[in-house]
Amino acid sequence: MASSSVAWLFAASFGASALGGVLGMASGIFIVPILTLLFGVDIHVAIGASIVSVIACSCGSAAPFLKERLTNVRLAVVLETATTLGALTGVVLIGIVPTAFLYGLFAVILALSAQQMLARRREAVSAGAADARSWATMLRLHSSFPDRALGRDVRYQVGKLPLGLSLMYGAGLISALLGIGSGVLKIPAMDTALRLPIKVSSATSNFMIGVTAAGSAGAYLVRGDIDIGIAGPVALGSVVGALAGAHFLMRIPADKLRIFFVVVLGLLAVQMLLSALGLQIPGGH
Amino acid sequence: MNQPVNAVERRDRIVAGLLSHGTWIASAAIAIGLALQLLHRFDASIALADSGYDFVKAGVVIFIGLPIARVALLFAIFLRARDYTFVALSALVLAIIGAGVVIAL
Repeated sequence: MASSSVAWLFAASFGASALGGVLGMASGIFIVPILTLLFGVDIHVAIGASIVSVIACSCGSAAPFLKERLTNVRLAVVLETATTLGALTGVVLIGIVPTAFLYGLFAVILALSAQQMLARRREAVSAGAADARSWATMLRLHSSFPDRALGRDVRYQVGKLPLGLSLMYGAGLISALLGIGSGVLKIPAMDTALRLPIKVSSATSNFMIGVTAAGSAGAYLVRGDIDIGIAGPVALGSVVGALAGAHFLMRIPADKLRIFFVVVLGLLAVQMLLSALGLQIPGGH
Repeated sequence: MNQPVNAVERRDRIVAGLLSHGTWIASAAIAIGLALQLLHRFDASIALADSGYDFVKAGVVIFIGLPIARVALLFAIFLRARDYTFVALSALVLAIIGAGVVIAL
């Protein structure tokens, strides 16, 4: 691969990750459209590169959340049984499903992400007494996190675990098929089914994404589907971009950026849909 | 949780250390590899392209192995704490990831 392409791959991943970091979203959802639509990379190669960058961002940003006691590690391990099983299903299916289906599915996920970005997340924490017979109680998943605004620890309970596990299976499947972190499915699972505080939900979801992605990335690596020349600069660009986003870009007004991202996600959804239908747009690759 | 808070904090710090150090090592390997490949382009007489590729590949492999190492670390920590339900759950996660690799072979 030419040095200029490596530099552009790095720059594009850096930009996507830095901007995504401001809104607390993973850059994974942008990597595959960028690689396929701008760089003309085969969608399977793009998925392989993207899944490595998803792992890199998850591992790179996990430490502060863990040190602040926002990550519920026990809950993450329980949910990872479902996400990795979903990823395993994805590994089996990706060789069977037609490329047009992958483009179409990606378009749907992009559109859902745009819609999710418009709707603000609401706190839906269950504060009542824990159900002694629930799975979450038996597995001792209820926990607490330090709330800086209140200056004390806030206890929370983990809600409907079976529903959460089902949604997480779907998230793992989509993650493996499309090379993304699947935040679009993890957020409803965490907020609606498990009813976690948003900070705990974000930290735990980010923590799990790496293991979920490793479930498919290990298989893709062994199968030779990961192009090192593309995956390397994309992973590095994403990690550095996420760090830069967290440190330097906090001053950008998040609301304007939100609208910008909704528009970009919408446009990418249309482009991916056209690719699914086998149509090319002038100016595309 | 029945475990004392400081044991949980210690566990989380160990896991955080693994993930942040691993990220640094993998990122550094990729950066060194890309730099070597770039040097090779400026001066083709230097035989660096292959080692550059090897460094980038090592970085990518470390990244993929890092979450798996994290689950293995939790497995060991749960085993030490005799928390057998979570020993089984983390072993299950490792087995599922392993199954994916075996299927791909």
